[in-house]
Amino acid sequence: MKALYFNGSGFEYFKIWIVNILLTIVTIGIYYPWAKVRNKRYLYANTYLEDRHFEYHATGKQLLLGHLIAMALLIAYIVTEHLFPAGAGIVIIIFFFIFPWVIWRSLMFNMHMTSFSHVRFSFAGSVGNAYVNYMLLPALFFIALYGPMVASAIAIHFFGNEGAMSSSTGGAIMLGVVFGLCLAFYFFALMKKRNACYAIGNYRYGQGVFSIDVETRGFAKILAKTIGLSFLVMLGTIFLMGIVIATVGYDEIWAMSGTMNDPELMQEAMFNEYAIAFIGVIYFILIVASFIIAAYTKARQRLYIFSNTTLDNDITFASTLKARSLAWVMISNLFLIILTLGLAFPWAKVRMIRLTLENTQVDSEQGFEHYISQQQQSQSAIGEQIGDTFDVDFGVGI
Amino acid sequence: MLIHGYYYQEGVASQSVATLCIHADDGANDNTVSIRTDADGAQVYVGQLSQINIGDRLGNTQRKLMLQNGYVFSTHDNDSIDALFKSSNANHFLSSVLHRIESHIGWVITALLVVLLTVFAFFKWGVPWASTQVAHALPEQANHFIADKTLEFLDEYFFEETQLSEEKTQAIKTHFFSQLVPLDDVEHSRKYQLHFRAWNQNGTSIPNAFALPSGDIILTDKFVELAQHQEEIDAVLLHEMGHVVHRHSLQMLIESTFVATVVVLATGDSSGLVDMGLGLGSLLVSSHYVREHELEADDYAFNQMLRAGINPIAFSNIMRRITDYTGNPEPADDEVLADNAEQETNVLIDYLSTHPSTQERIEKANKYIACYEKNLTVCL
Ligand SMILES: [Zn+2]
Repeated sequence: MKALYFNGSGFEYFKIWIVNILLTIVTIGIYYPWAKVRNKRYLYANTYLEDRHFEYHATGKQLLLGHLIAMALLIAYIVTEHLFPAGAGIVIIIFFFIFPWVIWRSLMFNMHMTSFSHVRFSFAGSVGNAYVNYMLLPALFFIALYGPMVASAIAIHFFGNEGAMSSSTGGAIMLGVVFGLCLAFYFFALMKKRNACYAIGNYRYGQGVFSIDVETRGFAKILAKTIGLSFLVMLGTIFLMGIVIATVGYDEIWAMSGTMNDPELMQEAMFNEYAIAFIGVIYFILIVASFIIAAYTKARQRLYIFSNTTLDNDITFASTLKARSLAWVMISNLFLIILTLGLAFPWAKVRMIRLTLENTQVDSEQGFEHYISQQQQSQSAIGEQIGDTFDVDFGVGI
Repeated sequence: MLIHGYYYQEGVASQSVATLCIHADDGANDNTVSIRTDADGAQVYVGQLSQINIGDRLGNTQRKLMLQNGYVFSTHDNDSIDALFKSSNANHFLSSVLHRIESHIGWVITALLVVLLTVFAFFKWGVPWASTQVAHALPEQANHFIADKTLEFLDEYFFEETQLSEEKTQAIKTHFFSQLVPLDDVEHSRKYQLHFRAWNQNGTSIPNAFALPSGDIILTDKFVELAQHQEEIDAVLLHEMGHVVHRHSLQMLIESTFVATVVVLATGDSSGLVDMGLGLGSLLVSSHYVREHELEADDYAFNQMLRAGINPIAFSNIMRRITDYTGNPEPADDEVLADNAEQETNVLIDYLSTHPSTQERIEKANKYIACYEKNLTVCL
């Protein structure tokens, strides 16, 4: 087993990054696609397995059109959201329908633009499966989660007034909600499994085919453990908040709560240092709590997916990433970035890359010598840039 | 001259460790390049230096030389490549111009300073300027839409019906429409309306006044009770009119839209980590804008008071009475000016707070009071 490693440095990346930002500002944003390519090229080209490295091949020109479209969409969305909250709902529904297409295009484009040891990757997934995985299953999940609750709320609204609810009706509602939760749990695990299969199972490396052998049950186990951990973390959070509330004073918090919707009211509540310290501490606790949970899930899923993935039944993968070290890097990176007003971003990025690469193991009997790039159609980057702008997170990065 | 690296064909995984050799031909202005593999010493390529295409230099990453035969020679030895091609290859300059900026510490520091200044200037002046423009360009209907929603929300969750007598509210209204509204230069385009509401929280009634963008002004019962003179009510009403005239509510919405857009764009290629941190940042930036709005509304009120012949001290008095009543910990007026040490600690808090420090407002009030005493109607 050999681990991947990163050959660059935080300082060198900082220099590239800051010059990129400068050029982006000077060109009022037009340079952004070139900046993005240069940042990515640096990070990819410094990712090594033995003496072979990755490469990112997209050009700024390829990304420009998609970038402009994505910018226009983003501004339209934010303006709608702020001025006409009702309209934003419609926009979200439209996004819901184009989102799977964006993921599909992004996966194709990004894989095609990535090479390892001069051989290109590619993605063979179908757009139909993208709609199943990124639209149908999430929809089923939400229906299962909220459907019974909404249905019983409606039932109570119409029939509840006509006297006390019989115990059998109450029992039926309870049963419905529990059944919905179980179904939601199943759909979520199924979704995770299908996403992993869709992304990885459709990756190609030259003529090589990735295969993945994971089961819904595996993801269900991880999900169950995550829910358990979340309860523990939530208890801890409530306990810590209790301490904060006892220290800050109940009245202060009451004065603040419920005033968040109106700046004129908020200013009345937010005038003192206690309130600000209080918001800061609550924010801190919530971030740490959510990072711990996120790190746990990610580390577990990664372990499960990597150890069940092969390339041509020859090359195998393993993850040695620990939830604890992942959570630590996430939390410390956040503070690094906040304390330096964002300037430490390149170092934070390099730290995270180092951690994930050094915990990615690859083993091969026959090596990579015989892989050759396959002929591919040139890909348009429109979907990729839309996905990038809206920070779509998909796939199971290295 | 020898350069060590890899020799391979683009698209093929197998690569051989190889050495590139440059033969300096005397008298010729083009040099011959040859490549031998290290394993068996076989010569795999011979060509002219000027025929080679050079890839961009990017940090410490491997430099690619695209050869005539479709093969690639890549090497970590960037400096040798730059030295070699400096004089003889036309596309050398383009391939390393960005790298020269990135590796020059002076340029990097310049870039850093320019970026910091731009970001600062953008939030400090750019966003408020742009949102003022947009706020004034939007049709009046936008104001009414926002105002109706806000008043509905406040009535549902915070306010109760006023306990003030009909005569009292009617007197305030009559005075407002006959004395204050005419002061507004463009009153015809705005329909001011006064609303009276009781606002109780935790058993205490809260003294306050708000302006909605449509020109609806809300006074709470406790505020009317605390005001001892008509002039004090006038002062606060003028302050609220200032918010309406400057379209502050709408501006606030647009400003937060701007901040949200920039935050999303700036973190476009980042993970969710940064976004969470920036949420707090944008809260602080927004509260800065609210402070600026308050000071602007104060300015409007003071100027109108001078025009109407109302002593600006009325504003200080009512503000002091309100802060005394609500137990604001900040120094409430010029007589209890905090000693210097306390002021220092207040600077940071003040920056974080949305409330302009009473100190800042009192200084402004004092300036206008001095003008009033000299019988000036314009105060600079
Ligand atoms: Zn105000």
